[in-house]
Amino acid sequence: MTAAAKQAGVIVSGLQKTFFPGTVQEKRALDGVSFSLAPGEFAIVIGSNGAGKSTMLNAISGEVQVDEGTISIAGKAIEQWPTHKRAGYISRVFQDPMQGTAASLTIEENLAISARRGKRRSFRTGLHAAEREEFRSALEPLGLGLENRLKDRVSLLSGGQRQSLTLIMATLQAPQLLLLDEHTAALDPRAADMVIRSTLSAVEDRQITTLMITHNMEQAIAHGDRLLMMHEGRVVLDLAKDEKAKLTTADLVTRFHDVVSDRMLLS
Amino acid sequence: MDILSTYYNLIPVSLAQGAVYAFVAIGVMIPFRLLSLPDLTAEGSFPLGAAVAAALLANGMGIMPAMGLALLAGALAGALTAVIHVFFKVTSLLAGIIVLTMMFSINIRVMGKPNTALFSHDTLFTILLNADGGAPITQFAVLSVMLAALCLLLYWFLHTELGLALRAVGSNQTMARAQGLSTTLYIIAGLAGAGALAALGGSVMAQYQSYADVNMGVGVLVIGLAATILGEAILGGSTLARQILAPVVGSLLYFQFVAIALSLGFKPSDLKLLTGLFVLFALALPMIRSKFKRNPSR
Ligand SMILES: Nc1ncnc2c1ncn2[C@@H]1O[C@H](COP(=O)(O)OP(=O)(O)OP(=O)(O)O)[C@@H](O)[C@H]1O
Ligand SMILES: [Mg+2]
Repeated sequence: MTAAAKQAGVIVSGLQKTFFPGTVQEKRALDGVSFSLAPGEFAIVIGSNGAGKSTMLNAISGEVQVDEGTISIAGKAIEQWPTHKRAGYISRVFQDPMQGTAASLTIEENLAISARRGKRRSFRTGLHAAEREEFRSALEPLGLGLENRLKDRVSLLSGGQRQSLTLIMATLQAPQLLLLDEHTAALDPRAADMVIRSTLSAVEDRQITTLMITHNMEQAIAHGDRLLMMHEGRVVLDLAKDEKAKLTTADLVTRFHDVVSDRMLLS
Repeated sequence: MDILSTYYNLIPVSLAQGAVYAFVAIGVMIPFRLLSLPDLTAEGSFPLGAAVAAALLANGMGIMPAMGLALLAGALAGALTAVIHVFFKVTSLLAGIIVLTMMFSINIRVMGKPNTALFSHDTLFTILLNADGGAPITQFAVLSVMLAALCLLLYWFLHTELGLALRAVGSNQTMARAQGLSTTLYIIAGLAGAGALAALGGSVMAQYQSYADVNMGVGVLVIGLAATILGEAILGGSTLARQILAPVVGSLLYFQFVAIALSLGFKPSDLKLLTGLFVLFALALPMIRSKFKRNPSR
């Protein structure tokens, strides 16, 4: 990877975050997280509960303010920006299907809002008739029939449908970075499978730089160009595509235990 | 028979009154329904609008500029509540109470005294109708035109890029931020808009009764809520158009109920109790219904 290509991607360096510092509940959630992603790279993030995965994603999106560290996207240092400003570069799908959409707005209104992510909003009409065609063709590949329900309120949709819609909203304009936090965890197996397939087609076809958290080891092995394993607020294992390709689920579990016990011995 | 004819005679006045309160009812509906932020500032911005308009009219200012400044004052009051809420993390309810309490002093400062009479000054109604302010039914006609224009304007705005974004902020703040919307700015703008409408209502009220009083805001929030709930019961809040019309239709209807209650012999001072009971009933209804559903045998 050339320096210029790296510059264009995502560079996260030395992220530190402690919740409730100086109290009995003090919790160091991020303890020096560093990694970088080349443009178009699709990284899978795994790690045990409480490892700091969600906190890292929230720190990158701006929902959590870090104590220390830098985040740069496409050569811009964004760590001081508020969430809504970062949204010009970053889009995300949450674990909770309720969080990604505005329930009292219609499907097309939600899409119209995300079609203008990162752009100046004005007194122009919020949804042009011509956009509907574009929305229909974006929704059609999901195979859920949402393209025929543009005027339905999102509150009428199931969790899986809402999550699929959120994914379309997040990728309608290709972001510089897509953040997926266990975005299929709340879905039944069939819906989860469908959302994963649409995720892969969006991410791989369009070469969107992506960080995807999952607890599903098969997914972690089968997909993506990178594997990051987190433990106690750090990235403890960082595998490139070729190393990752050789892994089996059993290997991964062994590697995880090795890493964890090594760290325990060291500390 | 007596009751019926008393009510019949009250219809024009109660329609006009309902139309006057419809402005502030819209101003109450916006935070509660569009922004999902319960806000009580209307109790302070409504009399603020009345005080500013009355003070300026009594000083010889024209009607349009006086109402414009009243509107602006209300927007500032609403924005202040929003700023207290978003920057100091005070709940919107408490922020509104702080602002409406401060407004009491400000309103007296604005008028220089607790009340201002406009009997010898021109108002919207003396200019448009005749020197005595017009008959109630013609007042109602004038107010209906104003309300129709206001509802159309609101309907248009809520379909612009900014209006759509405002509704998204009201529906889901996490989603809104992730979609690039500054929830802080939209909440400030939304509550400023609501405050402006409440103050517009106050300025219309001051001209309607040719009188502004520092206490005229008492109970206005519950009236606005009652109107919104009533209107939603009739129209349903299921589309944006219905949601906008609900407080207007509800306010007109609410004052019909008031007229009926008065015809039945209730005293005007009983009305706040009745209104409170109505709002309580409407809020408790879902709970009561689900109780009955769970125990169908009872
Ligand atoms: N807002 C918060 N306030 C206080 N503590 C928090 C907050 N968010 C996370 N934490 C703590 O930080 C640590 C890391 O949490 P985080 O949610 O990032 O873990 P995770 O890796 O996403 O875990 P999971 O796999 O269970 O989702 C946990 O100990 C958690 O309790
Ligand atoms: Mg998590």
